[in-house]
Amino acid sequence: MKTTKKPAVIAFRRACQATGTGLSHYILVDGKAK
Amino acid sequence: MMSSLSQAGRVDAAAPSRGRFVNSGHGPSLHVIDIGHADYTAVIDPDTAFWSLVRKDQLASTFAGGSLLKAYREKAQTFAEEMHTLRFGLKPSAVYFNPTERCNLDCTYCYIPGAMRRGGEHMSAERLLDALARLKAHFDATVPEGLKPQIVFHGAEPMLNRDAVFAGIEAFDGQFRFGIQTNATLLDESAVEFLTAHNVAIGLSLDAATPAIANRTRKNWAGDGIFKHVIAAMERLRGYDAWSVIGTVTKVNLRHLVPLVEFLHGHEVPTTLLNVVRCTLPGAREVKPDDAEAAKYFLKALDRTYELYQETGRKLPVANFANILLAIIAPSARRLMCDISPCGGGRCFFALAPSGDCFPCSEFIGLEAFNGGNLFRDDLAAVLDSAPFRAVTGRRVEDIEPCSHCAIRHFCGSPCPAEAHEMNGGMDQVGAFCEFYEEQVRYALRLIADGRHEAFLWDGWDAGTETTFDLLLS
Repeated sequence: MKTTKKPAVIAFRRACQATGTGLSHYILVDGKAK
Repeated sequence: MMSSLSQAGRVDAAAPSRGRFVNSGHGPSLHVIDIGHADYTAVIDPDTAFWSLVRKDQLASTFAGGSLLKAYREKAQTFAEEMHTLRFGLKPSAVYFNPTERCNLDCTYCYIPGAMRRGGEHMSAERLLDALARLKAHFDATVPEGLKPQIVFHGAEPMLNRDAVFAGIEAFDGQFRFGIQTNATLLDESAVEFLTAHNVAIGLSLDAATPAIANRTRKNWAGDGIFKHVIAAMERLRGYDAWSVIGTVTKVNLRHLVPLVEFLHGHEVPTTLLNVVRCTLPGAREVKPDDAEAAKYFLKALDRTYELYQETGRKLPVANFANILLAIIAPSARRLMCDISPCGGGRCFFALAPSGDCFPCSEFIGLEAFNGGNLFRDDLAAVLDSAPFRAVTGRRVEDIEPCSHCAIRHFCGSPCPAEAHEMNGGMDQVGAFCEFYEEQVRYALRLIADGRHEAFLWDGWDAGTETTFDLLLS
């Protein structure tokens, strides 16, 4: 029976301009609220 | 003697090292972390928040050299700079605006002192408009063009001062992104109509799916629970896309989190936050859950949200956990700023009391030592640079034990400074929870290993992001 071996290494990362970040965890102001 | 310049840019005359070797000299510092997965182990550089998942049978050969180390060396400096900007380069762009000190509830774990909530100060509409004008003038000069600063009406209970709040939203419509966090008792039909018409983000609070549990922690001054009010408000908000429900996780509701997420999902709540109780004031510590227990039941609730997604095709992101996932896969895309060091208090946002006094975060309102100055009397830039603010903005995981040698310190951030100071005796102390965050990070890494992480993130989380690392080795 043929088996597919899992990847030896998984690594990824994404980035964006972080200047708009700015909330504590009390409320999530959704991006749709303009 | 000539000095050498290491990869990190440091000059070391006495001990030159080119950083050729992992975990020695100026080589990358890579920690191996067991994540409880059958096939994978995590390899993390704590300083840059770089992570990778390495198949267990490949661990030794990975450390001996090869594609992963080569690719990481090329990006390490970029990632270090990204983390530095995120941790030290941001400016405040949001305000937790408390239009009143009063609250019609007396919840067990509230961080605002009872005397303040019973008979505190109300801000007049005139003063509220003045405050918004001052904040706008400040942000016009500091927030990059194209970004809209955020005002979150918070409390205490902001709807007790409804007329002033609504006047502010109307007067500054389009100039701020507005949000309101409310206990829902005063969120009648006309209030919902006004807030949704103005695209105000609305956060409600609910701790359980049944009144028997929910009313134990959230009740009015007479001791009566408010469950039915929250449900009525949830029904009014069904279909609106910018609302959320926050549950505070305590030992009272811990075993009932699975029914809670089922209930919220059934009511089509777009997003929830299941925040473990902040233990800043003594009352909250009475309902503090044990770390391991909190993790066990919190992760069960996350499992249930995944099942619900599989069953219905509709997600219920638990935003505080989603944020930890983002801290791993896209650090600069975080939306919440508690689980990063320094936290967002005083540097990404601050809290405004009805008197105009400014505090690094709502958590500090009531702690006079953290009053940084007054919006109506002082220069706001000086307030943001005041000693009380710097006490919070200067709190770094590097100065805290055991965080200074913890591999996941930039995925957790050692929250929260108010807890650390009030409960544990200083800013250089940990907050109320540690293992709870360890378990969340391990869970998040297991999801990534199994390719299931997208199911826990809100749709569109990656808008505006770009890939900075992508390695899949067979």
